[in-house]
Amino acid sequence: MTELTMNQGFASQSKAIPRRRKSGFPQEVNAVATIVARGILLTLKSPGALIMSLVMPVIMMGMIGGNLSQNMAGGLGYDYGQFMLVGMLVNMLFMTTSQGLSSLVEDRETNFTQEMLIAPVSRYSIVIGTILGSAFTAILSCTGTLAVGLLMGISIGAGQLLAILALSPLMCLAAGAFGMLIIGVVKNKRAVNMAIMLIPMSQMFLSGAIIPINASSGVLLVLSRLMPMTYCLDLVRAVVYAGTPEYGAVVMFNPAITFAAILSLTAVFLTVGTWLFARSETHK
Amino acid sequence: MEKILEVNNLVKRYERARVNAVDGVSFSVGEGEFFAFLGPNGAGKTTTISILTTTLAPTGGEVIIAGYDAVKQAKKVRENIGIIFQQPSFDPQLSAEENIRFHACLYGVYGYRPTFRLMPKSYRERVMELAEIVGIADAVFKPIKKLSGGMQRKLEIIRTLVHTPKILFLDEPTTGLDAVSRRGLWDYINRTRRENGTTVFLTTHYIDEAENVDKVCIISRGKIAACCSPEDLKRTLEYDPTPRVCLPTLEDAYIEYLNKTEGSVA
Repeated sequence: MTELTMNQGFASQSKAIPRRRKSGFPQEVNAVATIVARGILLTLKSPGALIMSLVMPVIMMGMIGGNLSQNMAGGLGYDYGQFMLVGMLVNMLFMTTSQGLSSLVEDRETNFTQEMLIAPVSRYSIVIGTILGSAFTAILSCTGTLAVGLLMGISIGAGQLLAILALSPLMCLAAGAFGMLIIGVVKNKRAVNMAIMLIPMSQMFLSGAIIPINASSGVLLVLSRLMPMTYCLDLVRAVVYAGTPEYGAVVMFNPAITFAAILSLTAVFLTVGTWLFARSETHK
Repeated sequence: MEKILEVNNLVKRYERARVNAVDGVSFSVGEGEFFAFLGPNGAGKTTTISILTTTLAPTGGEVIIAGYDAVKQAKKVRENIGIIFQQPSFDPQLSAEENIRFHACLYGVYGYRPTFRLMPKSYRERVMELAEIVGIADAVFKPIKKLSGGMQRKLEIIRTLVHTPKILFLDEPTTGLDAVSRRGLWDYINRTRRENGTTVFLTTHYIDEAENVDKVCIISRGKIAACCSPEDLKRTLEYDPTPRVCLPTLEDAYIEYLNKTEGSVA
């Protein structure tokens, strides 16, 4: 290798590549944005995911919710349709975000997780990016749910919708943190995929998305209080029903306490889940 | 020559395993060196390379890369290395360029922009220039699944070099490639070494690929069996396998060393 060739090489490279890399916080933000963009691209490139995000609301909202509304909602003392629509919107955010997060496990198959884990960025940036990337699909599913709800004749105010939209990133983060905990604890890929499907499904029934849980007792009461979605639903309903006569019948907890509970659960689950996930990749 | 990689008494025992996969391995690599790490299947090559690239935690020992500890300063180490995995590590649903862009932005070389056109001019020129060099300019915007195995390998190298690593790990980079693709890939790797002074750490089962390395280490059953230049290794041959036809190859020396150390060559 001659000195001349080597120097020429370096010279041509220094002209082409920025010498100074991003580092610290700006680099972490850039990494999160990059991973989020990948999540959005993957959704847009996958017709299956787009169709699912519209079919799921038809099943959940139209079939389950519609039947409950027509056959079992009498005597509640408030409009069940609106109660269920809000529940389904939060439920879709939770389910879709958790399922999107399973891409971290699927990526192991194509070794893409390796490509991300080898990058000089925090593991938290990788996880938060993946969660927010699947939040895009989750919000698409919400649009589908809303469309089905409107077709069923359920009305919801623009202000209420904006409030739900404003809270949706926090809901997705809470859902993702819970999903991360599952991925961190359950190492086996098949078991993760089953858990990612079964736990949100149980959560839908336990946390009051479609069935009110104000009168739950015993095991069901304990389980409902362990589910992060219970608090997310209650917070969203507190915002949506604020100032209405139904507030007392629909909302269970003080919104400030609910908000604090969501933040604490999210922070703990995200930290522990990410730590366990990163550890399971390196400690074999 | 300044050392860019130092491994001291490295040990790895997998969970629930009875023996060490890597058992007290020590060696070093100089800056700009072309280094080959050879050994039969199951000898501990991939385990070692996984620890060096921070994707696997060691049970004991010390690894220093570019002056940083691979366990305590893993992020700093990751800034200085690039790796071509045994299996392609692309997102098969994205295009070739999107995979490169994802990598460049994840490494902080560029800020993320949603399309190729919106990326800085230096990025666009660099990608097209590299694609031209390795002969995949026509395929840059095609989905990964439409590229051949050889093209994917070349693309992986382009992607890894976008963040100009000081040390490039190649874990069996030519497995599954045809002869033409293999030669094309090596021409490009050699060019990169010459032009950028990149240190290359190679593991391969094709011993002829390691014929021109500066230093070779042979690992057998988790222990280092030999660590020297290919010439010195060939000199240790006890018999000349092809005395009247040509000089002994590194492969001859490699197999004899493994036989001596009771390694399995199967």
